[in-house]
Amino acid sequence: MPGGAAASDSGGGALVPLSSERPPVYPLRHSVGRPVSPRVSVCWARGSSLRVSILQQQSPAGGEGGAGGEVVEVKLNGGDGEISDAQWRRIAYGSMSPFAMLQSRRSSVSALSRISPSPYHVDWWEFVMEYSKDINALLGSSKSTPASVIEDPKAVLKKSEKPTSLKAAWELMELFYADKLSQAWLPERLIDWLADYDSLFSGSCATVHSELVDFQNELINIQVIEDNPRYWEVIGSALAVGWLEIVVKLLHLHGSYQLDQLSSRETENGLVEAVAVLISKMPRMRLELGDGRLGECYKAKPDFIKAWERWRARITKLDCSAYWIKCNHLQTREGLKTLLQIMLGNSNGLSSATYHWLELYVSHFLYVRPFTVGLESMHGLAQKCIQLKPVPRSQKLMGLLLGILGENTEVVLAECSKEFGPWMVAHAIELMTAGSDEAESLLCEEQYNLGELSIQELHRLVYAQVLSSHAFTWQIAPVYLTSCMKQGMGLLEILLCKQPVQHNELLHKNLEICRLYELDDVSSHIMKIAGVHHWKLGRKGAGVFWLQQARDEVRLHKIAQQLFASVGKSISDESFKQWEGLIELLGSESKTAGGLEFLHKYRDFKRFLKHIHDGKNIEAARQAVESLMLLMKNPSTPQRFWLPLLYDSLILLNWQDRPLLNVAQTNLLLNRLQELSIAKLRPDFIEADLPSQALSSVRLALATNLGRAILEE
Amino acid sequence: MAIAQLPESPKIHKLPLYKYVDAVRWLPPISALDRHAVIASFDSDSGSPAIEIHSISPSKTPTLASAYAPLSSRISSLKSTSFAHRPVIAASTHLGSFHIMAVDPADLSIEPVAEEELHSGGASCVDLVDGGVDCVSVGEDGRVNLVSLGEAQLKKARVFDANGLVSYTAARWASPSEFATGGYGFSLHWWDRRKPGGPVSQFKCDRVHEKASGIVHSIDIHPSRKHTCLAGGSAGTIFAWDLRRQQQPIILSGVGMGEGVTSSVSESEIWEIQYDRSISPSNVGTRMLPVMICSEDGILAVVKEGEEPVELLAEPCAINSFDIDRQNPSVRGNL
Repeated sequence: MPGGAAASDSGGGALVPLSSERPPVYPLRHSVGRPVSPRVSVCWARGSSLRVSILQQQSPAGGEGGAGGEVVEVKLNGGDGEISDAQWRRIAYGSMSPFAMLQSRRSSVSALSRISPSPYHVDWWEFVMEYSKDINALLGSSKSTPASVIEDPKAVLKKSEKPTSLKAAWELMELFYADKLSQAWLPERLIDWLADYDSLFSGSCATVHSELVDFQNELINIQVIEDNPRYWEVIGSALAVGWLEIVVKLLHLHGSYQLDQLSSRETENGLVEAVAVLISKMPRMRLELGDGRLGECYKAKPDFIKAWERWRARITKLDCSAYWIKCNHLQTREGLKTLLQIMLGNSNGLSSATYHWLELYVSHFLYVRPFTVGLESMHGLAQKCIQLKPVPRSQKLMGLLLGILGENTEVVLAECSKEFGPWMVAHAIELMTAGSDEAESLLCEEQYNLGELSIQELHRLVYAQVLSSHAFTWQIAPVYLTSCMKQGMGLLEILLCKQPVQHNELLHKNLEICRLYELDDVSSHIMKIAGVHHWKLGRKGAGVFWLQQARDEVRLHKIAQQLFASVGKSISDESFKQWEGLIELLGSESKTAGGLEFLHKYRDFKRFLKHIHDGKNIEAARQAVESLMLLMKNPSTPQRFWLPLLYDSLILLNWQDRPLLNVAQTNLLLNRLQELSIAKLRPDFIEADLPSQALSSVRLALATNLGRAILEE
Repeated sequence: MAIAQLPESPKIHKLPLYKYVDAVRWLPPISALDRHAVIASFDSDSGSPAIEIHSISPSKTPTLASAYAPLSSRISSLKSTSFAHRPVIAASTHLGSFHIMAVDPADLSIEPVAEEELHSGGASCVDLVDGGVDCVSVGEDGRVNLVSLGEAQLKKARVFDANGLVSYTAARWASPSEFATGGYGFSLHWWDRRKPGGPVSQFKCDRVHEKASGIVHSIDIHPSRKHTCLAGGSAGTIFAWDLRRQQQPIILSGVGMGEGVTSSVSESEIWEIQYDRSISPSNVGTRMLPVMICSEDGILAVVKEGEEPVELLAEPCAINSFDIDRQNPSVRGNL
């Protein structure tokens, strides 16, 4: 599974993390001699497990039972624990159709642009965006769980399902590469992104999110909230990373809002409310703010600059206000002052309110450099923040983000591959090629050292290999293989030919894929294998059916010879019903049967003979003669059947009332008999299993019939 | 897996199971409230097949009530019915073994009643008589077996043995004494227990344009129209064989089936076909009753004679099996 390759950061040097439970070890009772043993053999086993066999040499004493060695099956899907196997499969299936859709759009867009370049010009990135949204939806919903009817006043953080770093990485790639609308608002988008995924960093270092969670847990036990220094710390941190709603909600928990205290702490309450209002009026330069989000939204830069200056002026004014002296509560005064410093972009204040570099980075966008545009300046600021604050250890997203900011396609690709596995690379390349022409040329250009493959194709092939290694996912590999121009079809053919044919469902799935991609050669190859498989296991009808489907004249002819050998003996009355079905299956002579159409006529002949019963039914006899003549004229009738056929027709030859065969017909039969006696001299002649006087009685009957026929004419 | 409410607005619920689902059937209801499904599953990691009973509700993932694991190979066919107030399950495997199991209504545990090696390899198919335990079992080895569960012991009889010259891939009871089988080359055979020794009647549906033929994967016979044998198979082919008009099939769908068939619901294997039991036969007149199918290319659809098929689901993977709940006609497919 894709998860397996990505797990490099646990297990201390182990390539594959082993699950805690020890896999069972099977002893080998037998042993092999030199030079085969001692030896270690590693091969794939069922599913995604690896079979490791250790072959030892037999110890001379031979006391122990398991002297031959040991076999252990190691499951390779330890993964990173974040996404289960089944979840990966769901993602693999779900991402297949957006991917296929994007590919078909690409080919139709390129076909369209060849015909008429400009009028139907579609913005490619919009298609990529649609693709990206579809895949993002698969990776989990970021929507918080619906709020309960009665809102808990003390619930500061909304409950939502735990985000995955895979989704975080995908969104990061989407906003930097695919979403052209967000290009002018990248810093703001990054702020939103961190708000969604800050909890992911909690594992390796303290984060604003983890502090908030801790504080929320303490909240029930705190009596006078504004006396608690943690209260002001947490508010400062949340403000620094721009979680304005949480800040205002927390401020409203301030004791001065309580009705019984409102009169005595009027000034204090006024100051808290003033800060809360200022926070909720913070100007933001972005396209839109979601429902319930605080702040004021400006789309045009001049408007924003004006609002920003005005807002800063109001903060400065409040900072210098005389009311602070009248505020008796020390913690409130200090706390509010700190908040004002954060809003004014005091670098010390920001630095102490944030925990890791990304939070500091985001706070700089909010309060120090709201006009930052362009990846270059964003990258410079990032470098500065990294020097000031710790980098979360072993966090999958750090390398990716720095690669993106550094505009280094190779690094981004390597990080995707290392941390998130082949699924991510194969799908994210679509975003990266949409991002810039430079990346596109790097990823889509054929590389000499990759055997004339492009990086894009290489990664699709890798992903397809991963898919085809598992029984549940191999059937979606063709979608990716067919998107590979150079080697895809070749590998697809190999994949299809390698699937076992024993299972009907699998066989049909295989043929279905052949049909979809018009691989007629492969499908007839598979049908031949299936036919021979059934034939070998004694299912003759099924074997003949598949060989007929494959139009394999050669093999049909071979098995026809085998069938004839048994027909001669067994197409007697009692087994006639068994043959009936097979002959029915062969159908009329127009179909491919490789000599087997003989059986069809033979069946008809036998049927008419049966109808004659007692030598009275003249109509049936006539029909029998007709089909006898057809059989004897037809070159596909095997020679070894001639005599038995004639022997069976003695009743016709000796018909009492009048001769049924005319002169010409009788002559033909006599000729056949002549040919037969010549053929007898050949070494490969097969003697029919008939009574010894059969030949002479046929000869006599033919001669008699000839005589009667001449007389009649 | 999905459950859909018919006919007006199909509501699809996807209930993920992390195993391969080979076949699925509703279990005859035990109480008024609970719905249970019996599923033939296959875990490809451990290579172990199992028969499982899940309790189904639209919103939740199915909860496993009980499982029966000692099976020799994957299930090729699964049927359920009710006998003596107990749900009874019949199953056949790809290695040719045949199983009858009873379900304990109290704790839903599966108790094996009988197990027989009836066929020598190759997938086989079983069908149970409604409300009885007469079971027909056919296989790719060409054997047709009848198994009846008597008072204490199993009575089995081999009706026919084609010695592999003919393979059977589908079977269905028409009445307690008659049944139909399907096989390669779109062939259908009609059998009568009272006339042993071979099929009473045979039919072969030939395609008009293409030289290739196909396989019948599933048969259904409506209790109110026992003379019509409905079959679904390769290349999206759905045809009905009316015993009263032997050589004239009614073709509902299929690639290369000739002039009359304009639309094909699928171009791939039709794995299962059942009459849509939510529509009563009296409303349809003399036309074919509507049928529901599922196919290899992931389509679950309702097909009516002379109308465009109604697609209920189009999945990126094959739908192996579905079942219609007779008490409450909702549908289930599985992926």
